[in-house]
Amino acid sequence: MPTLRRAILLLLLCAYTSFAAGPFVWAAMMSLRTTTEIHRNHFALPSPAHWDKFSEAWFNSNYGVYFANSTQIVVSAVLILTIVGSMAAHCLARYRFRLNRAIYFILFSTIIFPPQITIISLFQILVQYGLYNSKVGLTLVYVAIQLPLTIYILESFFARIPSDLFDAARMDGYSDWEIFWRVSLPIALPAVSTTVILNFILLWNEFLYAVVLITEEANRTLPLGIQRFIGDTQEDVGMIATGLMIAIIPVVVVYAFFSERLIQGMTAGAVK
Amino acid sequence: MAVVTLDRLTKIYDRGHAPAADAVSLEVRHGEFMVLLGPSGCGKTTTLRMIAGLESISSGTLSIDGRLVNQVPAKDRDIAMVFQSYALYPHMSVEDNLAFGLRRRSVPRAEIERRVKTVAGTLGLSGLLDRKPHSLSGGQRQRVALGRAIVRDPKVFLFDEPLSNLDAALRVSTRGEIGKLHRRLGATMIYVTHDQVEAMTLGQRICIMNGGKVVQVGPPLEVYKRPANTFVAAFLGNPPMNLLPATVTGDSGGLALKLGEVTFVLPAWGAPRLPAGTALTLGIRPESIAEHPRHGAAFASVEAEVVQVEPLGAETIIATRLAGIEHDVMARIGADPDVEVGSKCTLSFDLAAAHLFDASGAAIARET
Repeated sequence: MPTLRRAILLLLLCAYTSFAAGPFVWAAMMSLRTTTEIHRNHFALPSPAHWDKFSEAWFNSNYGVYFANSTQIVVSAVLILTIVGSMAAHCLARYRFRLNRAIYFILFSTIIFPPQITIISLFQILVQYGLYNSKVGLTLVYVAIQLPLTIYILESFFARIPSDLFDAARMDGYSDWEIFWRVSLPIALPAVSTTVILNFILLWNEFLYAVVLITEEANRTLPLGIQRFIGDTQEDVGMIATGLMIAIIPVVVVYAFFSERLIQGMTAGAVK
Repeated sequence: MAVVTLDRLTKIYDRGHAPAADAVSLEVRHGEFMVLLGPSGCGKTTTLRMIAGLESISSGTLSIDGRLVNQVPAKDRDIAMVFQSYALYPHMSVEDNLAFGLRRRSVPRAEIERRVKTVAGTLGLSGLLDRKPHSLSGGQRQRVALGRAIVRDPKVFLFDEPLSNLDAALRVSTRGEIGKLHRRLGATMIYVTHDQVEAMTLGQRICIMNGGKVVQVGPPLEVYKRPANTFVAAFLGNPPMNLLPATVTGDSGGLALKLGEVTFVLPAWGAPRLPAGTALTLGIRPESIAEHPRHGAAFASVEAEVVQVEPLGAETIIATRLAGIEHDVMARIGADPDVEVGSKCTLSFDLAAAHLFDASGAAIARET
């Protein structure tokens, strides 16, 4: 009986895996096929595999530039978000001061506005400050839109760190600044990893703000680059798939690295 | 070693609310083990945190060795504290936990290593230096927390209910270790607890607090034997002192008291100064009551009905009911008593060990 149950479980898991990974595998196969081959048969195996499509996308279709832009913008934004977000969360969770909850509420309530509402005013502001069509401008916008959620996630974690730990560090002679870096942040690493993964994936795939705030070829990010293969009358499906594969790789790397830290942090736990 | 002097130390968290600590005055002597004892919310931890520098002082002064430290930050007071939750840094090894405070104080690396090794050896932590707190047992964590305080070699040690997270057996052994530690280091230690057993066994003096105020300070047995008021009388002892309403009935050859339906004379009080009709509280500890009649002027015999029997092995606690008295009267009697629930017995009160409290609850001094 246990064998049968195991078999059923395995079958279910296989079915779910193919459901979840199917589109990914399909896109991966298409990335190695030409658009003509794809139109002939949507689901055929890549035979022969056109590995040269990757170098073509990278060099001839400017993916190298898009990739560098995305990396620069997203890594800077995630870095700023992580540092500023954890500092703000630490303050809101740790210090009792007037309007603490009001500030927290105002920050968090900005989440309710859909991007379509703020984007026009953001456009105006960026034009006024000369940040329209610049990587710095988009980075700042990314920081602004993701900061509330980052603070929300981190604040609830920081609030769970017992205040005795801060008191112990104060007795040990550490300043508030040192306590943040040497006690709070290392303990909050699991939550920080969560926000890094979340922000990285969301911003790496972000399209709406990028398409409105960036028009110059030299500053385009990867999602905009992929969009270039979608024309009014036809789509270069093969190159879109290749572009998608190039775009996915960093996300997988970031996830693999930080999720391990995440699990380590969770199992270490023990804030007692 | 140091002298810690609290002079009318007050902490007010919210204006309009009662102070958490209300004009606490206390002097902790060189090398003394002082216990702050009281129920939850009595202000003992707030007082300790003010001494530590973790809470600002609303009014009053705090001095260490004669130096006013009201405005001195926690790190510069040369005080170490052991927290109730141990407060070990979960991301650091035991060794790093022990060395964390010393590193900040720029102690040379070799000296840090030497001190950490010595303390770890003393506390039996040598084999655990590479472990993280989460892989330690409760007792081991407690020892790391102690070690973290000892390794700094501070002037004053503060303990905030350090045993309350341990199981009963470990609590007894750790209590013993803290006592030994005090004898070995001879340091000034201030220990907060709500556990009277810890207070009685560890403290050289006990400071009993209630409602933010100091109620009584003195050596443990002194406080036990001569409680300043009904609060102390009821707080110390398990079961606590019986506090029974009584009325003064006369002054013939001692203080005549009416307790329920019985009248007896307290010979030890000497000449009475209380007019007949004065309402008092008679306090008598359970161990000063026997379940059999004893004769003589020093004893008062009272008929009672046994309502509960709790055999504890070495002794038995009985609850009895006296005619005309609402409260049960508890008595601590022998291991194998001849009583059962519902039976009648004659209780004899040892009047030499009785206490009297006035209507405000303050003890009435015994004339000697």
